[in-house]
Amino acid sequence: MSLATIVAASEANKNPLLPDMAEMTIGIFSFLVVLFFLGKVLLPRIEKTLAERTDLIEGGLKRADDAQAEAASTLEQYRAQLAEARHEAARLREEAREQGAQILAEMREQAQAEARRLVEAAHVQIEAERLQAVAQLRAEVGSISVELAGRVVGESLEDEARQRRIVDRFLEELEQRSAAEQVTS
Amino acid sequence: MSAQHLLAKTFSDEAPGLGLFDWKPIFYIGSVGITKPMILVLLVGLIVVAFFWAAFAKPKLVPRGAQNVGEVLYVFVREQIARPMLGKDAEKWMRLLVPIFFFVWIGNLMSIIPFAQFPVNSKIAFPLFLAVMIWFLMIGLGIKHQGFFGYFKNFMFPPGLPIFIYPLLAAIEFVSTIFVRPFTHAVRLFANMFAGHLLVALFCVVGYHFLVEQVTPLGVPVGILGVILTIAMTVFELFVQAVQAYVFTLLAAFYISSGLHADH
Amino acid sequence: MSILAAVPLDPNSVGALSGALKSIGYGLAAIGPGIGVGIVFGQGVNAMARQPEMTGVIQQNMILGFAFSEALALIGLVMPFVYT
Repeated sequence: MSLATIVAASEANKNPLLPDMAEMTIGIFSFLVVLFFLGKVLLPRIEKTLAERTDLIEGGLKRADDAQAEAASTLEQYRAQLAEARHEAARLREEAREQGAQILAEMREQAQAEARRLVEAAHVQIEAERLQAVAQLRAEVGSISVELAGRVVGESLEDEARQRRIVDRFLEELEQRSAAEQVTS
Repeated sequence: MSAQHLLAKTFSDEAPGLGLFDWKPIFYIGSVGITKPMILVLLVGLIVVAFFWAAFAKPKLVPRGAQNVGEVLYVFVREQIARPMLGKDAEKWMRLLVPIFFFVWIGNLMSIIPFAQFPVNSKIAFPLFLAVMIWFLMIGLGIKHQGFFGYFKNFMFPPGLPIFIYPLLAAIEFVSTIFVRPFTHAVRLFANMFAGHLLVALFCVVGYHFLVEQVTPLGVPVGILGVILTIAMTVFELFVQAVQAYVFTLLAAFYISSGLHADH
Repeated sequence: MSILAAVPLDPNSVGALSGALKSIGYGLAAIGPGIGVGIVFGQGVNAMARQPEMTGVIQQNMILGFAFSEALALIGLVMPFVYT
């Protein structure tokens, strides 16, 4: 291969840095077609689809979150109710206990009152019986003592009115004496 | 139709060079010759639109088949390119970045598809118009969002530096933002594809030459090495193509973001 | 190829000589970016090892830094074509 052919060949070749206008025109046309179909038609569609998918996934996540939140709030509610019920039960038990104690106290009070009343009544009866006994004694002591005295002195004190007067006088003296003793004491 | 129309060069007597990228027209429409790269770039547009049509024409909430693949790719561009660079503006610019990424990537991928076997972006015209478009977009957005003088002031005079640095810095920043950016943006993609294609073609020719054209006892091992390296370089190209498409789109997003906000 | 054959004084050898110069120029241009890319990825891996949770951000900036330093080598690659 001679030098002349190399030089000639390299001169015949176009400079690769100089763009061919026909090529460039067709290239621009081809690129504009691509740009139009992708940029105006196809990419907006896939963008929309991707956005929809994102929305859907995020929506699903949000729904799951909501459901979880609801479950949590329901659980909280149940717990609150349960606690309230327990509280209520405790309160009722307490009340019942108090009531029971109160009833017990009332009954005890009543029983005590009844007992006091009975004791009172018994005292009153005893007093009455005592007074009756005293009155009866007073009636009987006079005759017994007169009879005893008549027997002792050997003379019959037949004049009954006289006898009674002496005895009454004697008894009054006695009562006065005891009354005077009560006053002085 | 001779080999020059489909293979760009007959490799009978010299190593592959610039001739690889110099296509003779296959047919003419009027006076315009239609070459293989032009057909390939139309094919790229067709493939990208067809794939995304299959994937996203009727998107379903539960993806199936092509939509799965399309969504993975879409989410990759969004998470790896748009969001880190553009933040909250990412969604809006996805409609530009996704076409750029797939146009560039499928164009690069043409390099290893049988019978296409030519990276569309190794013709400077295609990366160049994309880069120029991004460049206009960047300056337009900068002037719209930061004001005409505000935009130039923001990138040429970043605050908080010693005052004597500014004349130098302003000049460097101006040249690098206004002239170097679109140039390197286009040339990075172009040069990677150009060099990659050249390498693969070189090893191909080595294999073909030593195993078919001139079979000699010493040449056969070299030819076998050429075939092995061709396969290795093809795999490496597959990686480089994806990386360059990613870098091209990443830089596009970065430039757009530098127009939108001053802090970059 | 025929670079060595082209060296003898011959008016036509200028083309081959300039081709050889272009290769040398690209080789020189690739030194700096090669070191730069190495530093970018080395430091990037270092940073990822230190803070694995920041991997995404680091990778992002690593690729950006790689792209910026690589640009210089690519300018070196295409510059010969500017002066054809």
